Amino acid sequence: MSDAPKTTDAPKTDAPKTDAPNTGESPKPIEITDPVEINVDGEQLTVQNGELLIDACERNGTYIPRFCYHPRMNPVGMCRMCLVEVDSGRGPALQPSCMIPVSADMSVDTTSDAVAKVQDGVLEFLLANHPLDCPVCDKGGECPLQDQTYAYGPGESRFVEEKRHYAKPISLSETVYMDRERCILCDRCTRFADEVAGDPLIHFINRGSSTEVNTFPDQPFSSYFSGNTVQICPVGALTAKPFRFKARPWDLTVKESTCTRCSVGCRITVESSRDEVLRYQGVDSDSVNWSWLCDKGRFGFEAYNSPQRLREPLVRDAEGELAPVRWSEALGLAADQIRRAIESRGPASVAVIGGARSTNEGAYAWAKLAKTVIGTDNCDAQLGDGLPAEAVLGLSGLTIDELCAPGGTVLWLGPDPLEELPVLQLRLRHAVINDGVRIVEVGSRVTGLRDLVAQRIAARPGETPGVLRQLFETAPASGDTGLATAAALLREAGDDLRVVVGRPNLAESEDVVLESISVLRSSVPGARFMTALGRANVRGAIEAGLAPGLAPGGVSLSNAAVSDAWSTVPAETGSGSAGILEAAAAGRIDVLVLLGADPISDFPDRSLARRALAATPTVISVAPLLDASAAEARIVLASAAFGEVDGTTTNLEGRVTAVTQKVNPPGTARPDWSIASELAVRIDPAVELGRSAAALAEEMWSLSDAYAELAERPESPSGPEGVLCSAGHALELPATPDVELPAPDSYSLRLVIARKLYDGGTLLAASDSSAGLADDAVALLNPADAAPLGVQNATRVKLTSANGNVTLPARADDSVQRGVVVVHHNLAGADARSLVAAGDTVCDVRAEVA
Amino acid sequence: MGYLDGFKVTLRKWAGVHTDTGRRLTMEYPEEVRPKPERFHGRHVLNRYDDGMEKCIGCELCAGVCPANCIYVRGADNDPDDPTSPGERFGYVYEINYLRCIHCDLCVEACPTEAITESKLFEFAFTDRNDAIYTKAELVVDDDGRPQQLPWENWSGGFDPAADTSGWMRATSPSGNAEFEGLVAWATELGYGTRDAELGQVADVPADEQPETPDEGGH
Ligand code: SF4
Ligand code: SF4
Ligand code: SF4
Ligand code: SF4
Ligand code: FES
Repeated sequence: MSDAPKTTDAPKTDAPKTDAPNTGESPKPIEITDPVEINVDGEQLTVQNGELLIDACERNGTYIPRFCYHPRMNPVGMCRMCLVEVDSGRGPALQPSCMIPVSADMSVDTTSDAVAKVQDGVLEFLLANHPLDCPVCDKGGECPLQDQTYAYGPGESRFVEEKRHYAKPISLSETVYMDRERCILCDRCTRFADEVAGDPLIHFINRGSSTEVNTFPDQPFSSYFSGNTVQICPVGALTAKPFRFKARPWDLTVKESTCTRCSVGCRITVESSRDEVLRYQGVDSDSVNWSWLCDKGRFGFEAYNSPQRLREPLVRDAEGELAPVRWSEALGLAADQIRRAIESRGPASVAVIGGARSTNEGAYAWAKLAKTVIGTDNCDAQLGDGLPAEAVLGLSGLTIDELCAPGGTVLWLGPDPLEELPVLQLRLRHAVINDGVRIVEVGSRVTGLRDLVAQRIAARPGETPGVLRQLFETAPASGDTGLATAAALLREAGDDLRVVVGRPNLAESEDVVLESISVLRSSVPGARFMTALGRANVRGAIEAGLAPGLAPGGVSLSNAAVSDAWSTVPAETGSGSAGILEAAAAGRIDVLVLLGADPISDFPDRSLARRALAATPTVISVAPLLDASAAEARIVLASAAFGEVDGTTTNLEGRVTAVTQKVNPPGTARPDWSIASELAVRIDPAVELGRSAAALAEEMWSLSDAYAELAERPESPSGPEGVLCSAGHALELPATPDVELPAPDSYSLRLVIARKLYDGGTLLAASDSSAGLADDAVALLNPADAAPLGVQNATRVKLTSANGNVTLPARADDSVQRGVVVVHHNLAGADARSLVAAGDTVCDVRAEVA
Repeated sequence: MGYLDGFKVTLRKWAGVHTDTGRRLTMEYPEEVRPKPERFHGRHVLNRYDDGMEKCIGCELCAGVCPANCIYVRGADNDPDDPTSPGERFGYVYEINYLRCIHCDLCVEACPTEAITESKLFEFAFTDRNDAIYTKAELVVDDDGRPQQLPWENWSGGFDPAADTSGWMRATSPSGNAEFEGLVAWATELGYGTRDAELGQVADVPADEQPETPDEGGH
């Protein structure tokens, strides 16, 4: 007996079946710089000389069937489905259009009898080995093999023999299943793994009709990008565990949106059935993700579907337990506490941390609530793990395309792109391998850029500014070839230097990064910067005003033009998260709002975060799931999550794209903007914050010139490329503080707290398929440091700093530089943040075998 | 005098019951039940193979084709140690809403495993909308292959398992091609084994209008 509710309203799709399967794959946009004339099926076309015939035809409306060709990968000519008759002056001959560059006066016939016969034959051969279990195949209904067989194939099969049989799906990895019977050997998945992802973990094995795609023995296809192979497989050979048998493709209705699991901002489709999101697919945004997604993003919907989602507001009752209440009660209590705080100790006793998980509209509503209704400037979208807002917005910007533009030189000072900004890693990989981009990386351990860097310079935490001075100011000693090579590369780039900055290490203060920036700005005045901060909409939230001292549009509060919407601004400048938490710990904050932020799990100084939350009488958490900080709060307001709200988001380039509502929030959960708006009227009945996300957006766009393009066309960020905004580029960078490094001490190691893609984050823990992917915490040491300590594999070591100690297994790893110990953030077993104190420049620890 | 014409019918009928010229149409239903025509479409059943496994693989083709949009199916992975149906997938949720069903039988045609067929049972009336939505547990046949009688169904006309259940399509073939008449191309069924083909489909079609002989195979 099924326990699903008794309802029957399966959705209908009435998308017409065309010859061109709706795979979302289309030729890369190009500019015609070298036009040539070709003739396709009697029609004269002007196309770019040298582009592939298959693309030239599709761009002009003639779809040539194909299986192996993918516009974002190199052609291989594996499947022969794309054969057409090409006459280049020596008479027509059948040629694979995915391998033939167009040349002048080519004459092409895509529909001749010979072509039709070939297509028929190719399909009949493919089907000879294909199990035809379409009814149980996840691809059935959107399968290029099905569609093309209907369009070009033989009506009946002559194959009556027994087909080959393999064990039904085998697991290639935690998320991908392989059904070898269905594979048509198109080489897409293997090419993707090798060429695009750089994880060549799946290969063809065996020969002839026994050929199959498989992994090496005992080596799973554990790639952060494995889900892409499921999307590009032209049959149902590769299927994703989170979607397996959940619905048939025709059940799904689709809306385009933008992934908000990190700040790359990949375009996706959100696909749902019966009010439940079941799948995301990559959409080809030429300026961002080229149709690829990382697995954390792709399978991220699981967290929002999880039964742990908050469905209603909670308030701590007399026994001190969080108990569900009605919205009017929770909002009334929250507004009361805020009003009382304002009356008793002034608006600065209210603070808001978070907003980077919100839409721009949500962040704007909260900024407006805090700064105009409450009147506090204690707002920060970052959690002490970012950079000052002025730096995020004020450095001259760089888009991903500009970063990856052919022939350029990139100086990488940012976090590990593979772990924090996965799809940016793919773009960089393509740029290095295909477009001659050279990367110089300065950091304290080998990152995902491992094989891609032209030169890597080791710098212990805190030492980067010194290394940069050496590179740019003093001629590097000729003996040190690494430094000399890097200096030469950077000199060659001259003013056209592209720099990526971020916070590669939570145990290193932002001041070090600011000093590096200042060294670079004085040595290379033309250098352009990208601030690579991981949190999805951190830039949008700052632009919306969730940063101390800023009004929307990246205008400093003192310069903010008084408008109807922003008639008053706070008199005193507030502080960022670190300052807010310190004030809270000292008892100076009465109400602390956590807007989708979890300082207990994320703030670098964990003990400060705990003390602050404990000392604040009213902590209000606005969150979709009960995270560690929400569990300590007095009031928890259930908020709608991704896929449940309409709005816009801003990625790390400043690109504003739309996010869309596809399903209803669970229970009575509400969007962030609506919670802000309800609180506003309860605090001051005369205030109306905004009636809808769209109205808030319109108001926000009208506040700053940076949004001019959006203000003109309010519907504009709907496309995959969005609208680039340059909010805040006129901001002054904060003064560079003097960075003092502790005296060198030959016993101590310098701590690096880096992030991993899969950690113990609340969202990941609520996702079935990703929860098991997080490793346990390990201290990674250079073998040269590990040996004297006597560290074997998994020896437990005790790390002690001035602030505390942790004990965890250690491992020697030569990707870590000497004198450094790396512990990843938010993994089970040990929390290295207990070693860190906010305000310290770096964190030196002593390691001893426990 | 045209308006009196209608009365002639009444008079003729009235006279008819007393003579043998008119036929009385009224029957004492439900005590008396008219035999159901051969191709009668009643409520559905979900069939099983004769080893008791369910035939439905949860493919949703029936739901996809249903013009009234009244079928809701969800598939799930079979437990390899205790499978519900042969293969990887089984119908985990299966519901038909009889407030919407128009008994067109398109679902039956679409089904690749002959899991869903229509019986000739049609006498059911509900007082609760939920009763009109037959769940999988209600649709699937009993251990002896018979449909389950639900409290609101009237089976007073008797129930002939052979005639009142399963596929009308047995006349031709699962592919609907009359040329395969007489060829058994369907699976066994719990309680009935392999059912015989029904003959006599192409006999009325003039020879020149009959479909061409298929090449070979047919799969
Ligand atoms: S698994 Fe799919 S993508 Fe990979 S070779 Fe086979 S058919 Fe192609
Ligand atoms: S790289 Fe970032 S934006 Fe892209 S899919 Fe992954 S998490 Fe989402
Ligand atoms: S008989 Fe027709 S209307 Fe009824 S469930 Fe089947 S397809 Fe739908
Ligand atoms: S009844 Fe038939 S068509 Fe419907 S889901 Fe089951 S197997 Fe598929
Ligand atoms: S698409 Fe050209 S050979 Fe496969």
